[in-house]
Amino acid sequence: MVTYLIRRVLFQGVPVLLGFTFLVFLMINFAPGDPVTHLRGVPDLDPRVIEDRKAQLGLDRPLIVRYFDWLGELLQGNLGRSFDSARRPVANLIQERLPVTILLSVSSIIIGWGIGIPVGIYSARRQYHLSDYTITFLAFVGVSVPNFFFGMLLLYIFALILNVLPAGGYFGPGEEFTILRMLSYLIMPAFTLGLASIASITRYMRSSLLEVIRQDYLRTARAKGLRERVVIYKHALRNALIPILTLMGFMVPIIFSGAVITEQVFSWPGLGRMAIDATHQRNYPLMMGITLMFGVLTFLGNVVADVAYAIADPRIRYD
Amino acid sequence: MKKLVLFLLIMALVLPATAAIAQEEPVEGGTFHRGMVISPRGMFNPILYTETYDNEVIVAVYDGLVTINRELQPVPQIAESWEFSDDGLSLTFHLREGVKFHDGVEVTARDVEYTYKTILHPHYTGVRYGTFAVIKGAEAYHDGEVDYVEGIEVIDDYTIRFTTERIHAPLLAEFIYGILPSHILEDVPVAELEAHEFNQNPIGAGPFRFVEFRPDRYVVLEGFDDYYQEGPYLDRMVYHVIDDEARPVYLRQGRIDFVGISSEQIPMVEQLDFVDVFDFEAMGYSYICFNLRQERFDDKRIRQAVAYGYDRQTVVDIILDGYSKVANAPMPTVSWAYTDEGINEYPYNPDRSIELMQEAGWERGADGVWEKDDMRMEFEFIYTEATRAQEQMMMLFQQNMEDIGFKVHLRPMEFSAAVDRIDAREFDAFTLGWGLGVDPDPHGIWHSTSVWNDAGWVNERSDELIEKGRTTVDQDERAEIYAEWQRLMNEELPNVFFTYTVNVAAMNERVQGVDRDPGPQGLFWSEILNQLWIPAERQ
Repeated sequence: MVTYLIRRVLFQGVPVLLGFTFLVFLMINFAPGDPVTHLRGVPDLDPRVIEDRKAQLGLDRPLIVRYFDWLGELLQGNLGRSFDSARRPVANLIQERLPVTILLSVSSIIIGWGIGIPVGIYSARRQYHLSDYTITFLAFVGVSVPNFFFGMLLLYIFALILNVLPAGGYFGPGEEFTILRMLSYLIMPAFTLGLASIASITRYMRSSLLEVIRQDYLRTARAKGLRERVVIYKHALRNALIPILTLMGFMVPIIFSGAVITEQVFSWPGLGRMAIDATHQRNYPLMMGITLMFGVLTFLGNVVADVAYAIADPRIRYD
Repeated sequence: MKKLVLFLLIMALVLPATAAIAQEEPVEGGTFHRGMVISPRGMFNPILYTETYDNEVIVAVYDGLVTINRELQPVPQIAESWEFSDDGLSLTFHLREGVKFHDGVEVTARDVEYTYKTILHPHYTGVRYGTFAVIKGAEAYHDGEVDYVEGIEVIDDYTIRFTTERIHAPLLAEFIYGILPSHILEDVPVAELEAHEFNQNPIGAGPFRFVEFRPDRYVVLEGFDDYYQEGPYLDRMVYHVIDDEARPVYLRQGRIDFVGISSEQIPMVEQLDFVDVFDFEAMGYSYICFNLRQERFDDKRIRQAVAYGYDRQTVVDIILDGYSKVANAPMPTVSWAYTDEGINEYPYNPDRSIELMQEAGWERGADGVWEKDDMRMEFEFIYTEATRAQEQMMMLFQQNMEDIGFKVHLRPMEFSAAVDRIDAREFDAFTLGWGLGVDPDPHGIWHSTSVWNDAGWVNERSDELIEKGRTTVDQDERAEIYAEWQRLMNEELPNVFFTYTVNVAAMNERVQGVDRDPGPQGLFWSEILNQLWIPAERQ
């Protein structure tokens, strides 16, 4: 297993990430506009100032040179400085926001899986009952409703009408940290972000379990006289979960891109808001830093899914 | 009955007045919560910031030599007085004594010198050099030829003189930049100033002391006890970063006292009986720019036809709910240089548009679109903001233009991408807006040599008037010059001027000391931040 992991990271992860950063670098540089565009708002601007600024940011050098400069700095653990007026180190900007983004994403995963799996099991066991149809219907609604709309709906109900939850943000100045207060900030964005996962995991869990239930070995288990409860939870579930685990790897990027929108709606001070802003400003180093971040997390998500796969399914071995 | 009405009338007049008197004694304490929809960058340095969200913090933390009042006139701040020399070339500032930075060190002319000399420094990384390049010897210093600026002289601790190459009327209103503490920064190489941690831990001489900045979350300031003027009465001023859609909810929950809102949010906010809504014209206008480098647009009758043919009043009344004004020249009505004398309002009149096109020698083709020689009035129209109101305005524009034989292909683009096309001069027409400074000098946008002259408009008379306007010191004379210039612009329409910007803001009524009849700078500006207060029972 350990050699597999090393191989996976060195021979798959590193080349994939390298190619990925190169592609992203090309794409963001080919996008129209540049990082000094926003200086347009400054009246009486001396045209030389724009040229000087481009030179200060290193934008006057060829694209390939700039990429390898960036890569060289990266190998020394340096993500460069942001192109905005404050010129703060990209690493600091990410570091300030990463913890809250992870808090939000992990909470939404817990919500998605914690609700999606039991509901999916229930739905599968009650196949073609009214409750199954209801759940299926709700799951389709959940998959279809856009994040931002559901978020606005929650805000409208719980913040504006009922006035029981804060309308977004995360800990104001001088507010003492308590778990309860943290939850009051977290619950709406986490549910918004988790909604799509709840819905899709319910669907996957249902069909996966139904698939397994029809297998011969379960008929054998029932024939042996095992109670239905044991049949489902001991024999069927473990096998039905395997395809769900692969989902986990795929869901990491989906959750992070969902976080971009959700963070915007709830003024959540995470990476998502910064990513949108960096894109609008053509803040190349910051965009590179953030996409690299997401790339690494996605890769790790896939590795974790593979490992979980091996644990859940004894037939799978990585040697 | 009549008596009763009279009595009620009197009571109605008297009651608010007595209430107002009862509230007039400011008390100390309380926290003022402001909302902003975009986080500051953390560039809290008055000579290096480029974004307004940083500036909102900067004006509270720093004071400048002068500040601008609601009539857009320079008024004393750290400088208690100033005078121009007889030839109009030298401007001498007399500083107040005893003005303190937040670390207790006194502000002197050396700090003023440091602040403005840094802007002119060869390694300066900010964008304000162009504004002060007119100072004598600035160019030689900026180019690294000499290591002093001839036109900046420190006379004594409280007196500093700036001398310019030529008379430059807008100069006084430019000395608004916050004074930096030279005792902290003078040893920092200018090239490294932008990455210095001072910018995230600023020290100025303004009414509020900087306490904490959490990116994307909040900025906390504290009232500065040793401030040299009245107040500040507030204990704290906190800026909260919030989502633009959630602004009414924050107001309702009382988590913020003040925030600028969109006109679509007004009905929701007006339902809150403890929140007042204010609207005021800001310094800015939107416009439709044609590329005059193309022969087909290079005839004023074409642009006039567009002005008559686009129902701008309907845009203002229906689409913008009245929160705007039709513009016919590039000068906001709140500027002292504004005139409506001799200004053609181009009321909606499609018949007139068609007449003008015929006068200009155009004929309608088989599909009803104007044609002349090998030219055709069919063009691409770039716009950027994809708000609902903007979409509606563009649809109306397209429809209106079709009615008068102009075929418009709408092209929504992201801002940076649009600017790329505009800078490359690869456009037919586009619409954008300008935010303007307090001085009416239009040189930066409209002079034929300006980089921002996107239309490519060259007009000798306009250049003459612009130059005359900035080299005349007397404000009434300048207003006359700009009035003539506005009439010229109104006739020639190098842009089809569209609307003046109107801003809307919401304020919790517990905050006192604000400008209840806001001028272009809004409800409170640098000059009155120190006067804000909150009644004790509502703190």
